[in-house]
Amino acid sequence: MRPLANIRVVDFGQLTAGANTSAMLADLGAEVIKVESAGFMDLFRSMGNNRNTVPAWWNRSSQFRFTNRNKRGVALDAKNPDGRRVLQDLIATADVVVENFRRGVLERLGLDYASMAVRNPRIVFASISSQGETGPYRLHTSFGSTLEAMGGVAALTGYDGDKPVVSGPHVNYPDQVASLFATGMIIAALREARRTGKGALLDISQRELTSFLVGEEILAASVDAERVDLPRRGNADEAMVLQDCFLASDGRWIALTIENDIDAERCRAIVGWNEGLGDCVASWCVVRPASEAADVLSAAGLAAALVSDGASLIRDRRLAGETLIWCENGEIVKGRPYSFDDAPLNISRDAPDLGQHTREVLSEVLGLDETAIQHLAELGVTRSEPLEL
Amino acid sequence: MTKNSAPTAVFEDMKPLDGTVILEVGNAQASVCLRLATSFAGKIASELGAKVVKLEPFGGDSVRYAPPFLPSGPDGERSALFKFLNAGKTTLSMPSGSAAARATVDALLSGRVDGVLLEEDSGLKASFAEHPLALVEIAGWPAGMPAITRLSEFTALALGGLLDMIGEPDRKPLRLGGHQASYSAGLSVFTALMALLAERDAGRRPPPARVSLIETAIWLNWKAIAGIDDEGKPPTRQGSQSEFQVVRCLDGWIAVVFSVTQFEKLRDLVNKPALHHEKFATREGRLTHMRELYRYLEPWFAVRTRAEVYHEAQSRGVPLGPVCTPADLITDPQNVARGFIVSLPDAPVSGARVPRLPVLWTGNIRTLTSKLQEMVVL
Repeated sequence: MRPLANIRVVDFGQLTAGANTSAMLADLGAEVIKVESAGFMDLFRSMGNNRNTVPAWWNRSSQFRFTNRNKRGVALDAKNPDGRRVLQDLIATADVVVENFRRGVLERLGLDYASMAVRNPRIVFASISSQGETGPYRLHTSFGSTLEAMGGVAALTGYDGDKPVVSGPHVNYPDQVASLFATGMIIAALREARRTGKGALLDISQRELTSFLVGEEILAASVDAERVDLPRRGNADEAMVLQDCFLASDGRWIALTIENDIDAERCRAIVGWNEGLGDCVASWCVVRPASEAADVLSAAGLAAALVSDGASLIRDRRLAGETLIWCENGEIVKGRPYSFDDAPLNISRDAPDLGQHTREVLSEVLGLDETAIQHLAELGVTRSEPLEL
Repeated sequence: MTKNSAPTAVFEDMKPLDGTVILEVGNAQASVCLRLATSFAGKIASELGAKVVKLEPFGGDSVRYAPPFLPSGPDGERSALFKFLNAGKTTLSMPSGSAAARATVDALLSGRVDGVLLEEDSGLKASFAEHPLALVEIAGWPAGMPAITRLSEFTALALGGLLDMIGEPDRKPLRLGGHQASYSAGLSVFTALMALLAERDAGRRPPPARVSLIETAIWLNWKAIAGIDDEGKPPTRQGSQSEFQVVRCLDGWIAVVFSVTQFEKLRDLVNKPALHHEKFATREGRLTHMRELYRYLEPWFAVRTRAEVYHEAQSRGVPLGPVCTPADLITDPQNVARGFIVSLPDAPVSGARVPRLPVLWTGNIRTLTSKLQEMVVL
């Protein structure tokens, strides 16, 4: 299942929103060339505790390696005019560009859609930004959690009557969903480009996507003054009789949803009738180990589950399906959230070291000879160690 | 003064899925969390121009009666959730009984159908598999796992480890607001559908695809695995020990978000001598003294509005985020400039507004160039 075979992606993607979009295209058969430089690496390379403690630490970050497998990587300094020319030549051969720089960066380098589409009108240019290509906030800076606040999800997340909560740096929810959405849009645009010979600029605002994911609340608030400023309600859901986490005797948490009156009756038959339903469940759970409590509730046909953590997720490979891939060297990398019957995901390359494939790409893709490659090296354009160690 | 370009439509001429027909096939036995994922994926296809035919299970889609509700309108027409997900689709009702249901599906398949979004149903899956369609099956559990255990969006988030990541370490795990488990699965469904259609374009028969809510939640939560330390300890919810805190301001709340290299800018913004103490100079120091750090930061926010904080922070390159309610988003200057909130046609209440598809799609270079020239530069 390689629907994107023969598609070349020039990947300026950083962190999750950009780099993971390109990884998903690679998993569908596209040839992905990740572009970094000695002065500007993917920020994931600097994360974790490896910095300056292991040799070539910039190639060892687990977040980088999780995300960038199945790609080749080049180091080309776009600030150098020769480097820029090489990049323009590379984009001229490509079908897709993925980027999530701050707005204006690619324009200044002459690598933006308007400049590149003149030379390559069939290019699909996915610009994934904080708040979009246009509008008064287009140049504003953000992280995932900024957009969770500004996009409306944080206002709906939090303990009962308490302050809003963001998912934080270990989740950065808006970045994860951005790569899923952008991948779908890019494939739609590629199909169109194949049909018409005409590419497109996909101006994807992560803040808009975050808001789109609470669209029904925007609709309700647009016509109902009572929904303009709702208090947060913890784990409760208006549609459910009861929904919450309950502590078990071993300190683990059980998640339980009671959807309707039939569920409530079934639950009452287990936890008793003494107090309110939630209090009864809490008293019943707290004297039992979590797995026993979850088993009893599930066996009664209720939606109940142990709350997993990262360590338990890697213990149950069946549950992970194809979302995580265990490599032969024991390393775990990211898989994908969908699977195809009889067509398992193939991870054929580890994430590239900085500039690992520069020479290969310059020669094979752009046809540069040894003299030209050597010239770029002498100019420092293809340096493959970070400038600031 | 600056001039905003306000695109009024996502697309300039043809939409990318014009002419494409997608069937959404509801299963009366399936949990509502699968329906929301199916409907969300179908909604995206519909906004891209596909004709989406929604086959509601016998008795109707239960989401028609699900909150939030519009303040008025006939019964079964008041669910804002249903309206948001299904506006623009053609809806049909499945007859009672599996034979009649299959006959309805067969009749639809005799016309043009490019893709099918099917809520887990092994019988119907086999009959669709006979056709060269892009078929995506939506399930709760990963393939090969017994699906007898009931699933909700909430328990999918629990099993995917996402609940563990949000909230205070000494309080309950907390869910994200809205329908994130189902909608993120819906994004997976849509992307898988596009991959299958591209495979079909290449002249090959696409294999069926499968998306489960649990797998999508695990996939979103990959940092919980990538972040496991040398002793096997995974990251978990940090709450008030996190660098990112939500603090009070005059008219609401601000998410305080900053990178290692942005702390100095934040310190200069708040401009309080105590913040220059060496215990706050490194990230390790700040993590050790997080509560104290925020005790110095909070008073500055308490006397400013969200707008004041946001604009002062942005002028210094600090990515603080004012907490916007869904209502705030309707009048937000950026959303207004980008034409992001649009009228909902055929709503039972006047003034109903929804977000458009979150992409502006420009295929015409000349239009783009003039748009870029009009663009606001602050």
